[in-house]
Amino acid sequence: MFKHQEMEINMGPQHPSTHGVMRLKLKLDGEVVTECRPMIGYLHRGVEKICENKSFAQGQIWSDRLDYCSAVANNLGWAEACEKLMGITVPRKAQYVRTLLAEFNRLASHLIWLATHALDIGAMTVFLYAFREREDILDINEAYCGSRLTTTAFRIGGIPQELPEGFEQKVRTFLAKFPSCIEEYEGLLNENRIWKKRTIGVGLLSAEDAIALGVTGPVLRGAGVAYDIRKAFPYAAYSEMQFDIPTKPEADTYARYLVRMEEMRQSVRIIQQCMDGLPEGPIMAKIPKLLKSEVNEVYHATEAPKGEIGYYLVGEKGGAAPYRFHVRAPGFMNLQSLPKMVEGSLIADVIASIGTLDVVLGEIDR
Amino acid sequence: MKKFLKTLIPFDIAKGLSITGTYFAKVFLTANRAKVKQHVVSEYPEVPAPLEPRFRGRVQLILDEAGDPKCVCCNACAKACPTGVITIEGGKKEGRKTRIPTRWDYEMERCVFCGFCVEACSFDAIKLNSQFELAAYDREDFSLGLTGAHNVLEPSPVGKFSYSDEA
Ligand code: SF4
Ligand code: SF4
Repeated sequence: MFKHQEMEINMGPQHPSTHGVMRLKLKLDGEVVTECRPMIGYLHRGVEKICENKSFAQGQIWSDRLDYCSAVANNLGWAEACEKLMGITVPRKAQYVRTLLAEFNRLASHLIWLATHALDIGAMTVFLYAFREREDILDINEAYCGSRLTTTAFRIGGIPQELPEGFEQKVRTFLAKFPSCIEEYEGLLNENRIWKKRTIGVGLLSAEDAIALGVTGPVLRGAGVAYDIRKAFPYAAYSEMQFDIPTKPEADTYARYLVRMEEMRQSVRIIQQCMDGLPEGPIMAKIPKLLKSEVNEVYHATEAPKGEIGYYLVGEKGGAAPYRFHVRAPGFMNLQSLPKMVEGSLIADVIASIGTLDVVLGEIDR
Repeated sequence: MKKFLKTLIPFDIAKGLSITGTYFAKVFLTANRAKVKQHVVSEYPEVPAPLEPRFRGRVQLILDEAGDPKCVCCNACAKACPTGVITIEGGKKEGRKTRIPTRWDYEMERCVFCGFCVEACSFDAIKLNSQFELAAYDREDFSLGLTGAHNVLEPSPVGKFSYSDEA
């Protein structure tokens, strides 16, 4: 009498919890997902090709627009990749300021993740609290470079301007209050039975699978692999900083949540050290006005909030623009693990799995 | 048994409620309400948004004492602009040693407010002002030049573009 058949549905591209314009093609057997295929490309702007037609200095504004929630971290990667290509050494003070702002950006990005992830799962209060603190970080961004989201914060060879007056005061006020805010979020979520039911054992991704799929960042560390580029291949001023890499072996959504919360604490530690040990000196290296590359090929990876963001640049002799440019976006690689996470689980868990991957379509589609 | 009790007595929910309740208590249950009440939400647009001095808004030319633009038409800003939205043509003026722009076009719809033009200018002739309420209905309103009501020499007219429009 009843026919048993699989149903194919589209989730997205305009779905409130796909965090942008991502479409998931789901095959459902009742409530159970049997197949999941992420369809991407709605936000493709051809960033790589555009950058090949712009000068090295100009390219930075497109790095802002890759992962717009963590623009500073992308700026840092772009600036460092170009410096590596041309063999420029950056003054120590600039390194410190870069580290400081990149860590603030990690906090901002993780706060967005926490807010939206919690909202998807149904915890409204955390959303409001997290955005309240993020506002302070955006104010700090604005005080430093004049822009809140698309920062264009650095220049090849250093930073464009000194820290503004009253900056230290702002940072210190924030640092004094932020640890208690993290405790607040954890107080709301850590023991909450709904949160635990929706996250523990959901979106499992073993360490082997994660490594095989090229997953990086908190998702990899949530599977128990202590890989962090800040420690493995230190850049900026990270070699002088004391911090730990949090890992959790459970490899589920709850573990990734705990890892990210601990990462925020570590970021606060790094910012504190940057502020205390801020050296004096120049902020810009001596560089020619028009930057020219040599015949060279570089890949530079940095630890963005979402994982390893790598810039691959090929330079030609005397070229003012990269001959070839490629972005290894963490979100793109991480998204590949979504089918592994959700196939065989309930459709409601798809929402939690998308949230835990912290996808931003700007960098996935590029 | 312990687990059962834990499920029965909602400690976790009580903990969460105590956090949100603290905020509630702070605002509503203290005698001196006005003092304790913290403004987290800004009341924009009724209250203007506070901006930092470095805020990057719209491109505006800086004028000299005579009221002419300081710009000498060296085109450095146009070359530095990543989106190529600046077009400049220079001309002559009686009694001025340097050139003076006869055309200074700025296509605001494609400007990304990066500030590279300001950094490129060695004559201190251009700035990003503090205007951010720049939405408009017509595409023409984003093409700014030296003439017209909406130009690069002065801030955008308030009323047409900003929320403070009362009419
Ligand atoms: S702010 Fe940037 S995009 Fe806008 S005109 Fe200046 S250089 Fe061009
Ligand atoms: S760089 Fe300055 S002086 Fe030169 S054209 Fe631009 S605004 Fe004028």
